[in-house]
Amino acid sequence: MVYIDLESTDVYENFGLEYYLAEEKKLEDTVFLFWRTTPTLMLGKYQNLAEEVNLPYAREQKMNLVRRMSGGGTIYTDLGGWQFTFIDRYKEEGIEFKKYLSPVLDALAKLSVKAEFNGRNDLCIEGRKFSGNAQYHLGESIVHHGSLLFSTDIEKMVNSTRVDEYKIISKSIQSVRERVCNISDHLKEKISPEDFKELMVSAILGEENKANRLELSKEEILRVKELAKTHFQNWDSLYGKNPKFNMEKIGRFPGGKMHFSLEIQKGKIQEASISGDFFSTLDPEEISKAFVGLAFDRDSLLKGLTERGLEGKLYRISVSEIADMLA
Amino acid sequence: MKKEIVIPKLRPEMQEAVVCAWLKEVGDPVKKGEPIFEIETDKVVTQVESGFEGTLVEQCCEEGDTVGVLEKVALIEETA
Repeated sequence: MVYIDLESTDVYENFGLEYYLAEEKKLEDTVFLFWRTTPTLMLGKYQNLAEEVNLPYAREQKMNLVRRMSGGGTIYTDLGGWQFTFIDRYKEEGIEFKKYLSPVLDALAKLSVKAEFNGRNDLCIEGRKFSGNAQYHLGESIVHHGSLLFSTDIEKMVNSTRVDEYKIISKSIQSVRERVCNISDHLKEKISPEDFKELMVSAILGEENKANRLELSKEEILRVKELAKTHFQNWDSLYGKNPKFNMEKIGRFPGGKMHFSLEIQKGKIQEASISGDFFSTLDPEEISKAFVGLAFDRDSLLKGLTERGLEGKLYRISVSEIADMLA
Repeated sequence: MKKEIVIPKLRPEMQEAVVCAWLKEVGDPVKKGEPIFEIETDKVVTQVESGFEGTLVEQCCEEGDTVGVLEKVALIEETA
């Protein structure tokens, strides 16, 4: 096993590194990473941002939004939690989780934490989840990554993934909500997240792998930053990759109620029908038409609806109120 | 001759998968070993490759559809 000590807390770069190791570097040996992020919401590959994330809250808290290349549901990560990654050669053995999770369970056992698998390849303590795991297979590589809640802000996690109730019809993968816990609450002795990392990394590497560390060259680091931009930190990978969906949402504004019925495909509004008891100098068809073709994110809606002259045309309803409410 | 590409069984308990994305469109040439579509099952995203060289002639399901293990997803007209 090869270990790369990853100091970066930039989620885009860390996903870029996983991708680089899996798709370009392709080491024969298993690579192991242990890392963390500033506050971030990570979506599963085929999830819909609008269905999973409380976007106004995430904006207010300045949380990163990123789409993973692996499956499963949305998770919240911060500097109180850790992510671990194993990158391996894919050997036609099919899906294998225990191979990567057993060393993590053994390492936790050394800290006297009694953890177990649940049916979804997550790890639990007394029935509460503290680790979610997912994988992607890319060519000859397999990337297994998992999260560890150590002293994560659970309140922020709950708030950022609590989505207003409105109707969305889609075929996207839905998150499974489970009760969670932090590992630090189950430790006899209180330790810092940094100490926890040291103990986990030593236990997982074991004596035989301790010295087997890899440093990336300057060129490689630049390549990783480039992959972060092209694969993870851009509009298309976050919004453009939302599976097609239909959204029914009612906005309650000082000027009245607006009912939105939108079809969104590849991150853009394909069809829109807007009705309600608000007053406008425009007819409903003209208002609906103003939405069609716009990218479905807050900033694009704000810019597009303003450019299309909607501002001031709806009595006591501003374009920014609409953009804030929709996306 | 038309050849079927099916949902692979990636582990003994696997029953079905979601076909999440088409990587090739009808009419596209396909090489042996090239990925044609992506599936998600048990939080794992896998690309399914063609075992044949030819042309993709049919996508048998839409993105987001759940398809059973070993059921047909794509048809390839094999190059002789």
